[in-house]
Amino acid sequence: MYCYLYDEYIQENKRFERELLKIENRLTDLGIAGKVSRLALFRNAEEMIRDEIDHGVSTIVVVGNDETVRKVIDVVADNDVVLGIIPIGPGNELARMMGVPEGVEACEVLSARRVEKIDVGTVNGRRFITGVTMPNFRAEITCEDKFRVTSVARQAALEIRNLTDLTDPRDGQFEAVISAAVKTGWGIFGKTQIKESILPLSSMAIRSELPISLFVDGEEMKSTRFDIGIEPLLLKVITGKTRVF
Amino acid sequence: MFKDKSKNAMPSSSSNETIIAQGVRVEGDFQSQGDVVIDGEVVGSVVTQSSLHVGESAKIHADVKAANAVIAGEIIGNVVVGEMLELLSTSHVQGDITTERISVAAGARINGQIRMESKQKGSSVQAKDEDTK
Repeated sequence: MYCYLYDEYIQENKRFERELLKIENRLTDLGIAGKVSRLALFRNAEEMIRDEIDHGVSTIVVVGNDETVRKVIDVVADNDVVLGIIPIGPGNELARMMGVPEGVEACEVLSARRVEKIDVGTVNGRRFITGVTMPNFRAEITCEDKFRVTSVARQAALEIRNLTDLTDPRDGQFEAVISAAVKTGWGIFGKTQIKESILPLSSMAIRSELPISLFVDGEEMKSTRFDIGIEPLLLKVITGKTRVF
Repeated sequence: MFKDKSKNAMPSSSSNETIIAQGVRVEGDFQSQGDVVIDGEVVGSVVTQSSLHVGESAKIHADVKAANAVIAGEIIGNVVVGEMLELLSTSHVQGDITTERISVAAGARINGQIRMESKQKGSSVQAKDEDTK
């Protein structure tokens, strides 16, 4: 049984009305229409989904964008249900990487139901699918409790990749990428080059004396301590043929 | 008609390769299952089941263990290689080397013992304090 979760911005914006109508008609034609739940300001998305799962829903289809997926990822992963996406509007990187086209065309992908299990990352217990970024990396990383990594460059950025165009989200690992600005050559002839260090890891900890900012799937988190891990093949997602992994 | 289907398969993005580039320092017991490329600084120990490539700018103060290794930078510590060790002209190893096969380019500096060990036969040839500079 399918449950379609409409994000708030879709219901408020008139320009999506026609597209939604087309989608609803196509889903009925394909025989995969289901219950529609609508997200609203004071409605808890997790509670809504939990209710639907209790009533026998096995597939949650998010009609929205990456932010909508973020709202439901915890409850979907915890309850062993399948996640589908019908991307509408801007901010749909996740759907692109999963090979799901925008709008009504996504219905065909849902109907084909190619389900893949993917890894889900965690930062201080908060789950993420794509990755984590730290634009100003000035901290110490402890990797798998075995070795420490620090940047000796004047400027560096940290990126943790789970699902990207370059990584496989089914390998039980994430990639920690440190981009350091390194000066090569002497004096005025010197050039600054960006050197990338890549570490495939299953756990790491970031420590800093002062609070630092991390962007988890685009959302900011501030702390002096971040524990990052991976939950292998936790999330079941419906993917299209053009997926990047 | 007789297309190689494996060529059409989607390339795996996960090569499991570790790169420690310039501008990064690693301290502790570094272990990897895949290939390792080091151009930065490492202090402690380095162990990989696959190949190790130590770039010209690398500074390693660690005992190193790998299946195969190509070294162009500086290693202060013992080096144990299961199969083939290649020391390039810019390399500098200060420590004992144990390997099955070795290739040393002119200009490479070695300060330590070299022990040649064959995996199958278990025979060894020892050369003391070789300096090929």
